[in-house]
Amino acid sequence: MQTWIDGIVDWLFGIPTWLHDVISWWVRAIFWWLSSIWAIFVYVWSVVVYNIGFLFKAVIFPGLIFIVMGIIFAVWSTRKLWGRIQARRGPFHIGKYGGLQLFADAIKLISKETIIPEKARRWMYRFLPSFLLIIVLLPFAFIPWDSSWFIADLSVSLVLVFAFLTAVPVIALLSGWISGSKYSLIGGFRAANNQFACEIPMIISSVGPALLAGSLSVMGIAQAQAGIWYVVLLPVNMVTFLVAAIASVGTFPFDAPVADSEIIFGWRTEFSGIYFTMTYFAEFAEQLLYSALLVTLFFGGFWGLPFIPAVVNFIIKFLVVFFFFVIVTSSFYRLRQDQIVRYCWKYLLPLSVLNVVVALLAIAYFPGLALLVIGG
Amino acid sequence: MKTDIVDDAIEIWFGPQHVSAHGWATKLTLVGDYIVECDPNAGYFHRSAEKVMEFRNFRQGALIMERLCMLEAFLAEYPYVTAVEKIAGLEVPERAKVMRTIMMEASRIHSLQFWWGQFAAELGLFTMLLWPWVDREFFLDAFEELSGSRHAVSYNTPGGVKYDFNEGVIAKLERAMDRIEDRLPKFKDMLLRGPTFRVRTQGIGQFTAEQGLKWGLSGPNIKACGVPMDLRKDDPDPSLAYDMCDWEVPTVHNEDHPGESDAYDRMVQRFLEVETSLGIIKQLLPQVPDGPIIDPKHRAKANRLPEGEAYGRVEGTRGVTTLWLKTQDKAQTPWRAKIRGPCFSSYYSLKHLVPSSKFADFIVIFGSLDPYPGWWDR
Amino acid sequence: MGFFSVLGDMFRIFKHVFRQVFVRPFTSLYPFEDRYYPERTRGRHIHIREKCTACSQCVRACPVVAIRIDKEDKMYEKDAALYFDYSRCIFCGLCVEACRFDSLFHTPIVDLSEGERDDLLYGPDKIETLERDPLEWRGRRFR
Repeated sequence: MQTWIDGIVDWLFGIPTWLHDVISWWVRAIFWWLSSIWAIFVYVWSVVVYNIGFLFKAVIFPGLIFIVMGIIFAVWSTRKLWGRIQARRGPFHIGKYGGLQLFADAIKLISKETIIPEKARRWMYRFLPSFLLIIVLLPFAFIPWDSSWFIADLSVSLVLVFAFLTAVPVIALLSGWISGSKYSLIGGFRAANNQFACEIPMIISSVGPALLAGSLSVMGIAQAQAGIWYVVLLPVNMVTFLVAAIASVGTFPFDAPVADSEIIFGWRTEFSGIYFTMTYFAEFAEQLLYSALLVTLFFGGFWGLPFIPAVVNFIIKFLVVFFFFVIVTSSFYRLRQDQIVRYCWKYLLPLSVLNVVVALLAIAYFPGLALLVIGG
Repeated sequence: MKTDIVDDAIEIWFGPQHVSAHGWATKLTLVGDYIVECDPNAGYFHRSAEKVMEFRNFRQGALIMERLCMLEAFLAEYPYVTAVEKIAGLEVPERAKVMRTIMMEASRIHSLQFWWGQFAAELGLFTMLLWPWVDREFFLDAFEELSGSRHAVSYNTPGGVKYDFNEGVIAKLERAMDRIEDRLPKFKDMLLRGPTFRVRTQGIGQFTAEQGLKWGLSGPNIKACGVPMDLRKDDPDPSLAYDMCDWEVPTVHNEDHPGESDAYDRMVQRFLEVETSLGIIKQLLPQVPDGPIIDPKHRAKANRLPEGEAYGRVEGTRGVTTLWLKTQDKAQTPWRAKIRGPCFSSYYSLKHLVPSSKFADFIVIFGSLDPYPGWWDR
Repeated sequence: MGFFSVLGDMFRIFKHVFRQVFVRPFTSLYPFEDRYYPERTRGRHIHIREKCTACSQCVRACPVVAIRIDKEDKMYEKDAALYFDYSRCIFCGLCVEACRFDSLFHTPIVDLSEGERDDLLYGPDKIETLERDPLEWRGRRFR
C-alpha cells in the first residue's frame, strides 16, 4: 500500500539515480566531443601524413618560408651590391656582413605607426598591400626547382603565371587611386603605363621557349632543355625578356611609377608601416620571380653540371641572373613614361618577334636541329 | 592660365616636403601630363643673411657669405672680402692673389662634381650620385689640409688669405686633380654618352641666348648657349690672378640648335668648365710666388672702414655673385649689404621654361640650371 | 646615334659598373676607425692659461658669442677663465687668429659628443686640458 511516505522515499532514492544519469550524460557528451575532435584530428593527421610531401613543399622548401627567406636575402644582397657599385659598404652592423639587417628593418617597419590618410578609402587601403603580396607569391608554386621539388605543375602554368602578374599593376593603380594623394595617383597611372608597354614583349619572348619545348607548362619547358639551353637558340629573346621583366617590376631604368625625384614614391607614397613593408617585399618578390622564370625559360632550369644537385644548379644560375638584374638596375637613368612605351613597342616587340620567327624557320629547314632541341 | 579655365587642371605643390625639393617649393598646374603653369616660390630657406651681416664686423661677414653656399665656399666669400678691400684700399700680396685663384678654381671643380651627382640622382641613377662625390672627397681633403675645415673654410680675409700653402696641401691638390683627370672619361661615358641620359636631356628645357640674357642668367647656363660671358675674362679682378695664365672661356656650340641650350648642353658646359679650371690650376700651381700671404700693416685697416660703397663680384660656379656694401665713416659693421645670388634668376626663369613640358621633365629642367636654394633665399 | 653605337655605349656603361663591384668601398667606418686629421684641423680649442692676458680679444672676435670670459677667476697674475659654448661655436678660427699671446689654439680633436646639452659648455676645467671623459651610456662609450 502506497503512502505519501513511500513517495518521499522513492523521491529520495531517485536523487542518486538522477545524479547518475546527469553525470553519465555529461560524461558521454564530453566523451563524444572528445572523440569527434579526435576523429577530426585523426582525419587531419591522416591527410597531413598522406600529403606530407606536398605540405612540406608548399610551406617549407620551395614554398612560403623558402621564398620569404629568399626575399630577405635578395633585399640584403641588392643593398650590399648597390652599396658596392656606389663605392659604399651597404649594411654591415647587425649580423655578419649585415646579414640580419633586414630582420631588424622588417621589425622596425612592422612596429611603426600605420598612418592612414584622411582621404584614403580605409578598407581598400588595408586590403590591397597584402593582396598584392599574395598575388606576387602565388606564381612561385609553378617554379620547378628540381624535377621533383615543385609545388604544382599544370599544363598551362606559364599562362597562369602571366595571368597572376597582370593583376599587379591593376593593384598599383588601385592603391594609387585610393590613397587620396595626387602623387600616388600619378604613380598609379604610371605603373599601369609600364605594364602596358612591357607586357606584350615579355609574353611574346616567352612564346619562343614554349614553342620549342612544345609545352605551356613551366616544368615541361625546363625538362625540354636537357639537350641545349634555349639561350643558345633564342639569345635575343632572353635579352628582351630581361628588359621587359625589369620594366614590369618597375626598378631603376624603368622606375617611373616610383620615381622618387619626380613623384615622391609613386603609388607607394602614402603607405606606411606594415603596408609599406608588404609593397616593398612584393617588388623584390617580383624580381625574384622574374629571375627564376628567366632561369627556367632560357637557362636550362635545373639542368647544369651533373655532379651537383639539380636544386643547387638552379639556385646558382638564379643568383647569377639576379646579379645581372642588379647590374642593369644600377647603370641607367630613369626613362620618361612615354619613352618607356616608345622603346618597348618600337625595339623590344619587333626583336622578340624576330627571334621567334628565326628559331621557327631554323627548325623547319634544319630538322636535325629540331631533334637536338627536343632531346632526341 | 587660371585653373578655372581648364577643368582638368590639378595643382601640385612640388613642395617643401618633396624628396628632391630641399628648401624650396614650386606650385605646378598640370593638365594631363603637361605643366601649363609654374609658380616658383622663394622664401622657404630664408635666413636673413643680409640683416645679420649688418651686425657683424668686416672679418666676420665673410663667414656668413660662405655659409650661403657651402659648396663654393671659396668663391662665395670672395665678393664680401673684395668689397671690404676696395673700401679700405687694401693691397693684396701677389702670393695671396695666386693662392686665392687656385683655391677658387678648386672650389669650382668641387662644386661642379657635387652637381653631377645631384643631377644624376634627380635623373634616377644613384650610382652616379656617389661616384663624383667620392672624387669630391679628395678636394675636401685638400681644403681640410689647407684651412682645417672641409666645407666652411673661411679662407679669404680682407687683405689676403689666412692660411699658407705647404707641401701637404699641394700634394693633396695634385692628387685630387689626378684623380678627377683619371675619372673624367668614365664620367663622360656615364653622363654624356649614356643613351638614357641623352634621351632624357636632349631638347629638354631649351632656351635661346636672348631669352637667357633677358631672364638674367649668367655663368654656365648662358655660356652653354654659346655666349662667352665670363667675369673672369670680361672684368679681370686686380686682386685675382687670372691674367697670369692662358685660358679660353668655354662655350658650347651645338650644331643642331646654335645659340640655344638644352639640359644636355648645360651638362657638356659643366664638363668644359671643369677642364678649364683644371687647366688654370695646373698653370698657376708652379708659379705661386714667394712672399707674405697678408700684409701685417694692412691687417688692422679692416677693423674700421672709411665711408664708402663698393661692389664685389665674382664668377661663381652657378653664375655671377655680387655683393654691394655701404659703410659709414669709422664704422665697425656695414651699414647695408646686399647680395645678388646667381640662382635667383635661374630659379625664376623656370616660370618661362617649364610650361608646356612634361611633369617628369620638370626636375630635369630644374636640375640642369644647377640651382642652390641658399642663393635665392639669402 | 645608330642602334649599334647605342649598344656600344650601353656595354661601356656595363663595363664601368661591373668593374666597380670589385673595387674596395671608399667609405671608412668612422666611429670604429680613426680618420686622419691634418695639423690645421679646426677642432675643439685649448686654452693655455699661463700666457693668457685677459685681453678678451677672442670674445670680441667671436661672431656667434660662444665665448664668455670671467676676469675674476684668476689662477696666475693676469689671466682669466674662458667658457666655450660648443653648442654655438662654428669653428671659424677667428678667436685663435685674434689671440696675440699664443694662448688659444685649435686642436685636431673633433669628437665632442655629450649626453646633455649643458655638458657642451666647456668651463675652465675642461678647456684647459685635452683629457676628457668620453660619454658613457648604457655601457657603451661614445667619442
